[in-house]
Amino acid sequence: METVWTDLLCIGAGLAGERVAIEVSTAGFQSICLSIVPPRRSHSSAAQGGMQASLGNCCMGEADCPDTHFQDTVKGSDWGCDQEVARLFVETAPEAVREMAFWGIPWNRIVPGKSVYFKGGKPYEKTESEENEGLITARGFGGTAKWRACYTSDGTGHTLLYTMDNKVVELGVTVHDRTEAISLIHDGETCIGAVARCLKTGRLRAYLARATLIATGGYGKIYRESTNAVINEGGGALIALDTEIVPIGNPEAVQFHPTGIVPTNILVTEGCRGDGGTLLDVNEERFMHEYEPEKAELASRDVVSRWMIHHIRRGLGVKSDHGDHLWLDIRHLGAEHIKTKLREVEEICNNFLGVDPITQLIPVRPAQHYSMGGVRTDKDGAAYGLKGLFAAGEAACWDLHGFNRLGGNSLAETVVAGKIVGKKIVAFLQGSESKYDTALIKGAVIKNQERIDGMISGRAGHENVFEIRNAMQDVLMERVGIFRNGKDLQKAVDSLQGLHEKSRRVGLRSNGRGANPELSLALKIQGMVRLALCVAYAALKRTESRGCHAREDFEARNDRDWLNRTLATWREGSDLPTLNYEAASKVVELAPGDRGYGVCKIISCDGEIIGA
Amino acid sequence: MAIDTTIYFPAPSRASAYFDGLQMLTGAALIIFMWSHMVLVASVNFGAGTMNTLARFFEETYMAQVGGPVIGCVFLLHFFLAARKIPFRLDQQTTIWKHSRLLHHTDTWLWVIQALTAMIILIMGSIHMWTVLTDLPITAAKSAARIQGGFWLIFYLILLPMVELHVGIGFYRIGVKWGFIRRNTRKGFKRFENVLTSLFVLIGLVTIVRFLTLPI
Amino acid sequence: MGRELTFHIFRYDPEDPDSIPHTDIFIMEEKENMTLFIALTQIREEQDPSLQFDFCCRAGICGSCAMVINGRPGLACKTLTRELPKEITLMPLPVFKLIADLSVDTGAWFRAMNEKVGSWIHTSKKFDPSAREERMDNALAEEIYELERCVECGCCVAACGTANMREDFVGAVAMNRIARFMMDPRDERTEDEYFEVIGTDEGIFGCMGLLACEDVCPKNIPLQDQLGILRRKMGWNTVKHLFRFGSS
Ligand SMILES: Cc1cc2nc3c(=O)[nH]c(=O)nc-3n(C[C@H](O)[C@H](O)[C@H](O)COP(=O)(O)OP(=O)(O)OC[C@H]3O[C@@H](n4cnc5c(N)ncnc54)[C@H](O)[C@@H]3O)c2cc1C
Ligand code: HEM
Ligand code: HEM
Ligand code: SF4
Ligand code: F3S
Ligand code: FES
Repeated sequence: METVWTDLLCIGAGLAGERVAIEVSTAGFQSICLSIVPPRRSHSSAAQGGMQASLGNCCMGEADCPDTHFQDTVKGSDWGCDQEVARLFVETAPEAVREMAFWGIPWNRIVPGKSVYFKGGKPYEKTESEENEGLITARGFGGTAKWRACYTSDGTGHTLLYTMDNKVVELGVTVHDRTEAISLIHDGETCIGAVARCLKTGRLRAYLARATLIATGGYGKIYRESTNAVINEGGGALIALDTEIVPIGNPEAVQFHPTGIVPTNILVTEGCRGDGGTLLDVNEERFMHEYEPEKAELASRDVVSRWMIHHIRRGLGVKSDHGDHLWLDIRHLGAEHIKTKLREVEEICNNFLGVDPITQLIPVRPAQHYSMGGVRTDKDGAAYGLKGLFAAGEAACWDLHGFNRLGGNSLAETVVAGKIVGKKIVAFLQGSESKYDTALIKGAVIKNQERIDGMISGRAGHENVFEIRNAMQDVLMERVGIFRNGKDLQKAVDSLQGLHEKSRRVGLRSNGRGANPELSLALKIQGMVRLALCVAYAALKRTESRGCHAREDFEARNDRDWLNRTLATWREGSDLPTLNYEAASKVVELAPGDRGYGVCKIISCDGEIIGA
Repeated sequence: MAIDTTIYFPAPSRASAYFDGLQMLTGAALIIFMWSHMVLVASVNFGAGTMNTLARFFEETYMAQVGGPVIGCVFLLHFFLAARKIPFRLDQQTTIWKHSRLLHHTDTWLWVIQALTAMIILIMGSIHMWTVLTDLPITAAKSAARIQGGFWLIFYLILLPMVELHVGIGFYRIGVKWGFIRRNTRKGFKRFENVLTSLFVLIGLVTIVRFLTLPI
Repeated sequence: MGRELTFHIFRYDPEDPDSIPHTDIFIMEEKENMTLFIALTQIREEQDPSLQFDFCCRAGICGSCAMVINGRPGLACKTLTRELPKEITLMPLPVFKLIADLSVDTGAWFRAMNEKVGSWIHTSKKFDPSAREERMDNALAEEIYELERCVECGCCVAACGTANMREDFVGAVAMNRIARFMMDPRDERTEDEYFEVIGTDEGIFGCMGLLACEDVCPKNIPLQDQLGILRRKMGWNTVKHLFRFGSS
C-alpha cells in the first residue's frame, strides 16, 4: 500500500482548501490537496453572483464599512452566528478581495457617469464618480444594506477558483485530483491524516500529515432538489462524523435558494434580483413587495424562499408537469445587460430550458443550496475534539452564517477563512512534531479494505445503494424542506433510521474493480444517511423558527431557549446522533433583535414576546 | 545582450516562426503565380495571338527563363516547409484520417484535402514544369498540340482541380491563421472562396476545351 | 415524446484485467428535457452500475463532462437528447489519457499545460494589504473575462487534428490562456518571454488553422480570433528580432 507524507493534508481543493494550501506553502511547509475532481472543477466554480467585501467604492455602496457588513451578516444569520468570527470575517474581506485582484481576478470596475439600475422592476438612475473610476465595483445582493458584492460578470466563482488554482500552480503545490478521502486516521485525540481511494485506479492510499484540513464544500446532494454539484455528497462531514468525536454544527441549518430553475434545479444567480429582476406569479404579477414592503425581492434568501412557497400554497403558482413554480423576470434589464453581466444565466436558460431570458420568463422554484452546518471549528478553524484537524469553507461550521448565509458571504468566507485558518495552521505546524503510530495507520487501511471487500462479496447483504440514496433524498426533500413541522420531521427521522439500517447491508451489483462508481457511493452511503439523520433530528429537536429553519408549529424565534448552536456527534452502534448545544456566540456585539425583514415574532432572551 | 544572460537564458529558437512565416509567404507567392499563370494560359481564349504575345513578352524580358526556375525553387521550398506538417508516419496518418471521419468538420476535411492535393501537385507540377520549361518558347500551338495528344489532357484534367482546391483552401487558411479573417467574417469568406475556386476551375476547363479545338 | 434511444457506449477499464475495449448498447425511453447527464445517470443506476463517466456541476460550467457525442466533442450535461438522433454514440475524449469508459484524465493534462504556459500573473511587485487596489478599465476587465471563461473542458484539444497527431501540441486552450495574460497589464512578462513559451511548433506555429477548436468550444471562446492575433504578434516579434539582430 502506498503511503504519502506531508505537513498539511488538504482534503478538498476548492477555494477554501486551496487558499489554505497557499498560505501554508508560502510559509515553507509542504501541503498536498486531495480532490474528487480536478481542482478547477470544484463547485466553487459554479458561484456566479459575487463576493462580499465592504470596499465602498461604488456609489450604491458609499460609506460602506466592515461595521455595516457585520450588522448585515449577524442579522442575516438571525443571530445564530458566532459574532467574533463574523467580526474577523468582515474586517478581512476587503483585503481578501484586493489580494485576489492582485493575483489576477478581472473584477468588474467602476465606470463613471450616469447609468440606470432597476429595483422592484422600476428604473432608477445612479451616478458613479470620476474619482473612483477603475476601482472594483459591486452589485446589490439580498439582505444587505449596501451594494457590496464584488463580481466578474456572473462567473465570480469561476474566476476566483481559476486565479486561486493559478497561484497553486505557481507555487507548485501538489494536488492529487481524483482522490477521495474515505476516513480520517486518528487515535481519539489527534488526527494524523486520512485514508483515501484513488479514483483513477481504485486503490487505497494512506496520507499522513501533521495537520489535516477538511475543505470538502457543501453536502447539498443529500437532498433531491439541490443546486449543488453531484460530488457535493458530504464526504468531509461524514468522515468527521465517523470519528465519533468531531461534531457537526447546526446540521439543521440548510439554505434554500429562491431561484433554482425548474426542473433541473440549476441555479440562476441572486444577481438577477440584485440587478433588478422580479418574481412573478401565475398572473405575471409581482408579489414579494406585498409580503416584504421594504426589501421585496431582495430580502434574505430564507425569507424570499418561504414567501415563494407560501405564495404557491395560496394557489398562485404556475402549474407544470414538474410541479408548481413561479417566474423570474429579467426582461426589463435589457439585452445588453443580460449579455454582459448575466451571460451564464442567459446560457443556462437557453441550454437547459430553451428559454430566452431577454424575451421570456424563467421558471423558478426554491431548491436546496447551501449547508450552513458543517464540521464545527473554533475561530482558528481547529475542529472540536481532535488535535491536528481543521476545517474551512462550506464544509466547516466556523460559523459566520448562523441560520442563514447571505449571498456573496460564502465566496468571501472561503478566501477569508483560507487566509486566517492557513495562518493558524502554520503556527500549529511550527509547534508540532510528527509522530506516526504505524499500527494505527495499518489498522485504518485494513478496516477500509475490509469494508470494500465486504461490499464486493455481498457478505453483509445485497441492498441497492442507489435506491437507498434516492429514498434518503426524497425523505429530506419532502419532510425536511423549507417549512418544517414536528409530525413530518418525526416521520423523516423514522424513515431515515430504516434506511440507516439498510445502509449496513449494501452489496454491489458490479464487480467493484478500478474506480468503480457504485463502490464510491457505497463507501459513503452510510455516512450520508447519518448526516441526513443529523439534519432531520436536529431540526425535530429545535422547536423554534430561526433563519432558514422555519417550524410551522413553532413560528417564533426563541432567543430564550434556542439562542444556541446544535452539535451533533455519532456514536458507533447508535441509530441516532447525539445532540449537544453551545451558546451561539460567546461575544455579543450586536444584541438579538429584529432583522428588518421576514416575520418577526420573537421570544426574547428574557421571555418577552415581541411581534405578531 | 550580456553574456551571462545568454548563458542562462538561451534565446528561444525562432526556427518555427521563420518556417511558418516563410510557408505562408511561399504559399502566397505561389497563389499570385498561379493567378498570373491563369491569365497567361487563359488568354488563349481570346485567340492564339494573345497568348503568344504574352508568352513572347515573358520570354523577351527573360521572365520565363529566370522566373520559371525561381518558381520551381519557391515551389520546392514551399514543399519542404509545408511537408513539416504532413503526417508521414503511418500512425499519424491513421489518426488524422479516423479523426476527420469521426468529426464531421469541414475545415478539418479541407486540410486533409490540402495535404492530399499537395502530394499530387508535387509530382504532377514538377513533371509539368519540367516539360514546359525544357521546351521553350511557349506558344499556343505547342500547348494545343500537347493537349490534343491526349495524355496531357488527362494530366491537366487531374492537375487543374487539385491545384485550384489547394490554392483556394490555402488562401482561406492564410486568412484564418494570420487573423485576417475574423470570427464574424469567416462564413462570408468561405463562401467567397468556394465561388473563386469553382470559377477558376471553370476558366481552366474552358481553356482546355479551347486548346482542344485550336487548330494546330 | 417517448422515443426509444439506443446508446452505443465505449467500454474499457484498463484497471480491470478482464476488460477489453468494446461497445455496449443500452436502450432507454426518452423523457422531456432529457440531457445526457440524466440519461447516463439513469443507465448507471438501472442498467450498469460500473459505467464510468464524469459529471460535476451538471450545469455546463465546470467542464467535467466533455465526451465525444456522435463524433463531436461536447459537454454531455448540456446536450439535450432531443437534439440528437435516436442512435447515440458516446466515446471518451481522444488525446487525454483514458481512465475508463467515458472518463479521461483531463486534470493531469491541464495541470501540465498551466505549468507550461505559466498560467499566472508574473509580477515583481509585492501585495500591499493596506493599499487600495490598482485601477483597471472596466472594458479591459471585461475583455480579460471573455477569455477567462474557458472551463478547461478539453473539447478544443480533442477536436483538433494537430493535437491528435502530435501529442506535444499545446492546443488552442493554452494559446487562449496566453492571450489572456498578454492582455493583462498586471502581468509583466515581455513579448519575448511569451514568445519563448508559445512561439514554437508546439505552440502557435504548430496550429494549422483547422478551427475545429473554434467550432466545438462549448463556451464560445473566440479562439479563432485569439489564435490569429497571437500568430501575428509572434510573427511580428520575430520580424522585429530579425532587424534588431545587427544593431544589438
Ligand atoms: C450554484 C451555486 C452558486 C453559488 N453562488 C455563490 C455566490 O454568488 N456567492 C457566494 O458567496 N457563494 C455562492 N455559492 C456558495 C459558494 O460557491 C460555496 O459555498 C463555496 O464555493 C464553497 O467552497 P469550498 O471551497 O468550501 O468548497 P468546494 O468548492 O465545493 O470544494 C470542495 C472540494 O472538496 C473536494 N472533496 C469533496 N469531498 C472530498 C473527499 N471526500 N475527498 C477529497 N476531496 C473531496 C472536492 O473535489 C472539491 O475540490 C454558490 C453555490 C452554488 C452551489
Ligand atoms: C502551385 C503550387 C502550390 C500553391 C499555390 C500552394 C499554396 C499554398 C498555400 C497558399 C498554402 C497556405 C499556407 C499556410 O497555411 O501558411 C499552402 C499550404 C500547404 N501547402 Fe501548398 N501550395 C502549392 C504546392 C504545394 C506542394 C507541392 C505541397 C507539397 C507537397 C504543398 C503542401 C502544402 C501543405 C501541406 C500546406 C498546409 C500547411 C499548413 O496547414 O500549415 N503545397 N499551400
Ligand atoms: C514556371 C512554371 C510554369 C510554366 C511556364 C507553366 C506554363 C504552362 C503552360 C504553357 C500551360 C499550357 C498547357 C501546356 O502548354 O501544356 C500550362 C497549363 C497548366 N499549368 Fe502550368 N506552368 C508552370 C507552372 C505550373 C505549376 C507550378 C502548376 C501547378 C502546380 C501548373 C499547373 C498547370 C495546369 C493545371 C495547367 C492546365 C491549365 C488550364 O487549363 O488552366 N503550372 N502551364
Ligand atoms: S477553450 Fe473552449 S473548448 Fe477549449 S477547454 Fe476552454 S472551454 Fe473547453
Ligand atoms: S483545431 Fe487545432 S490546428 Fe489550430 S485552429 Fe484549432 S488549434
Ligand atoms: S458537469 Fe460540469 S460542465 Fe458538464
